[in-house]
Amino acid sequence: MILAALILEALKNLTGNLLRTSLTMLGVIIGVASVITMVAIVEGGQLWLVRSIERLGTNLVFVWNKTLTAEERRLYEGRSIGLRYDDVLAIRARFPDLQVVPVVELDYSVKAAGRHFKGRVTGTSPEYADARNFHPAVGRFLLPTDIAEWKRVVVLGQEAAEKLFDQTSPLGKELKIGNQRFTVVGVMEKKGTIYGANYDEMLFIPVTTAMRRFQGNDKLDSLIIHVPRREQMEAIMAQVHALLVQRHDGVDDVRVRSQGEFLKAVDRTIWTFRIVLGGVAVVALVVGGIGIMNIMLVTVTERTREIGLRMAVGATRRHILLQFLVESVVISVVGGVIGMMVGIVAAYGFGDVVAQSMPGGGEWGAVVQPSAMLIAFSFAVIVGIFFGLYPALKASKLDPAEALRYQ
Amino acid sequence: MLMNLIKVSKIYRIGHVEVLALNEVSVGIDRGEFVAIVGPSGSGKTTLLDILGCLSRPTSGDYWFDGKLVSRLPDDELTYIRNRKIGFVFQTFQLLPRKTVLENVQLPMLYAGVPWKAQRHRALQLLRDVGLEDRAHHLPTQLSGGQQQRVAIARALANTPDVILADEPTGNLDSRSGQDILGLFQRLHESGQTLVMITHDQQIAEQAQRRVMIADGRIVADDRASQQAPVPV
Ligand SMILES: Nc1ncnc2c1ncn2[C@@H]1O[C@H](COP(=O)(O)OP(=O)(O)OP(=O)(O)O)[C@@H](O)[C@H]1O
Ligand SMILES: [Mg+2]
Repeated sequence: MILAALILEALKNLTGNLLRTSLTMLGVIIGVASVITMVAIVEGGQLWLVRSIERLGTNLVFVWNKTLTAEERRLYEGRSIGLRYDDVLAIRARFPDLQVVPVVELDYSVKAAGRHFKGRVTGTSPEYADARNFHPAVGRFLLPTDIAEWKRVVVLGQEAAEKLFDQTSPLGKELKIGNQRFTVVGVMEKKGTIYGANYDEMLFIPVTTAMRRFQGNDKLDSLIIHVPRREQMEAIMAQVHALLVQRHDGVDDVRVRSQGEFLKAVDRTIWTFRIVLGGVAVVALVVGGIGIMNIMLVTVTERTREIGLRMAVGATRRHILLQFLVESVVISVVGGVIGMMVGIVAAYGFGDVVAQSMPGGGEWGAVVQPSAMLIAFSFAVIVGIFFGLYPALKASKLDPAEALRYQ
Repeated sequence: MLMNLIKVSKIYRIGHVEVLALNEVSVGIDRGEFVAIVGPSGSGKTTLLDILGCLSRPTSGDYWFDGKLVSRLPDDELTYIRNRKIGFVFQTFQLLPRKTVLENVQLPMLYAGVPWKAQRHRALQLLRDVGLEDRAHHLPTQLSGGQQQRVAIARALANTPDVILADEPTGNLDSRSGQDILGLFQRLHESGQTLVMITHDQQIAEQAQRRVMIADGRIVADDRASQQAPVPV
């Protein structure tokens, strides 16, 4: 009954001084809106990253050469040289269900009709296309015969094709990698940049060609293994790892990671973002709270005589405390609600801006989560109570006789 | 006896300076009395009224109100007594400027927990009694000084208090409005209301039933001095 009257009273007082109230609220609005916006963008970014990584194929296991310390290198001297093409054949023989893709990365400049291109020349096998879910748009990808015969054929990424052949169709044309002639047999579909790697500037040649015509040995840089069923992942990883160690004369010189572990790493990065941005938003909210406290202190001083009169006619200290606390809570609740609305609008607005300005960020939309809204809102209310408490306590502790005669 | 002060002193401290505002004052006031407190400026009249009204506590001495030793009661009980048993009228009216006349009169009833409808009903009745029924929805600033003071009296009467304490109620009014207020007090007195009023004005003091003269924090004259007999506790 009295509480209802006090809330009504607070609303009247707040609307009676609209400019002051809205300026005070602004701090809370900015705080809540920034929490929601930042969380929504980070959330959207995470979703986008996970999706783009999954667009590069799912259920994948990556194997690559471990960087050894000088000590280890000396110790393992002559026992193992890391991943080799034979390892691929051995894994295929042991696990016929798996698609095992060898990868060799070459560092050669590419020339065609007077143009130069510094792309990423990758030696691999036909399975690459399915495993990475990355297919040719025109022509074909690598074929088993290309591998068997160390053919000098190349499949270009979109950007490589554009840079080397401009608008003309590269199919059937010749180009030089280093000083060897290759025939273009296909151009890949557009893939974009994913997690820092631009897939459109890649050139694919048969892995055997890369090893024997360029490297002069059969060392591999990495393997990509596609596992048909997700449940098998862990077991396969362990078995492949064991097999490789055994083949490498007992030397554990490879790393085996699942795609899921990469996603977890992404998750960790995202959490760092969340904490940093969340901290910024919390600071904004606290500053808003200090604004509330400041204005409430002014209000209490201005209304000292009113407080004295109310005490004289029967307001207890608790009534006075409640009256001022209700005012600051109303400011933060209303500010919180407006902040949520502003936050949602800002989140989607910023989401669009990010989507348009980021290379390959086309699907980076903001994701506004109810939990983030709830947290931001409750935080605003807590801030209102916390920073409203001191001025309200101050009001409730006034001496009625002195307050009545305050000038 | 409704109110009884026994050897009440009040000392104000400002830093190292002490002001003895009341010096062992003993005085009793019965139900139904109309008492005027007179004395020069700074003699301690307001200080005395604050103590009578439970707005402040004596530094020493005892104050009995309606059989209770209020100088020892906790804050909330003093608040309760102010709310239910005491009505205040101030020189500067002390109406809340953003509230209507009606809402101002309702205020003591709000804190007493009276249902809203009953508050309205009683407040309108009180405004009718002081002749301001048609001003119920005005703001205090839209009223003359005399009218504002009548609103304040209506507010003081809201919870049918045992006593009305008025600190120079006519101090800010011209003599005609002052006389109106005094007429209202007379009427209340005749209906049995206990009243204690501070005034500078000798002429106004004459109209009360009893005069207590205070100077330098002491009672120096009392019409009823012969009857004054502090009850030992
Ligand atoms: N809050 C206070 N702090 C310090 N001294 C005070 C306080 N209130 C009153 N005094 C002092 O106590 C003495 C009595 O003051 P009080 O207000 O009771 O006088 P008064 O008789 O009401 O005077 P007036 O007729 O001018 O209203 C004065 O000397 C005054 O300065
Ligand atoms: Mg005075």
